[in-house]
Amino acid sequence: MAMGIIEGGEIMWIYQKSLQHPVKVSYPDLKFAKTVITQYGGPDGELGASLRYLNQRYSMPTGQAKALLTDIGTEE
Amino acid sequence: MNCEQQMSMLIKVQEMGFVALELNLYLDTHPCDKDALNDFNCAVKLLKKYKQAYEQEFGPLLNFGMSGFAKESWQWIENPWPWEL
Repeated sequence: MAMGIIEGGEIMWIYQKSLQHPVKVSYPDLKFAKTVITQYGGPDGELGASLRYLNQRYSMPTGQAKALLTDIGTEE
Repeated sequence: MNCEQQMSMLIKVQEMGFVALELNLYLDTHPCDKDALNDFNCAVKLLKKYKQAYEQEFGPLLNFGMSGFAKESWQWIENPWPWEL
């Protein structure tokens, strides 16, 4: 969990050895994997959404809006 | 390694991290809410405590030097990873 983007520094993102919600990966489950992967990727996935937030923040007029998009984009 | 203990200590970090994150998002749009600021600081205090306790037992939560000094061995590569607990 938790990808933190640090601009201008050497670190583009960091990984925290923890999850937002407990998960146990125990056996292959193709049907569930399909659901998970469509949530992750594709046009309506989390990855696309987070990158959109992190790019939209540059044109936000207020500090509040920049912060919110930074935080939501990082969380996703 | 005691997996049950590791799980319960990690869950504390996860739970308090979630509280801090949600309060953070709320404060982004309600920056003058004194109660929320207070709650946020309480959460941060507990989160710090839980993280320190966890890292003391089970190694760093962050990579690239962001969890401080390494001990005698390189614990970052140690199992279990969070999805294996």
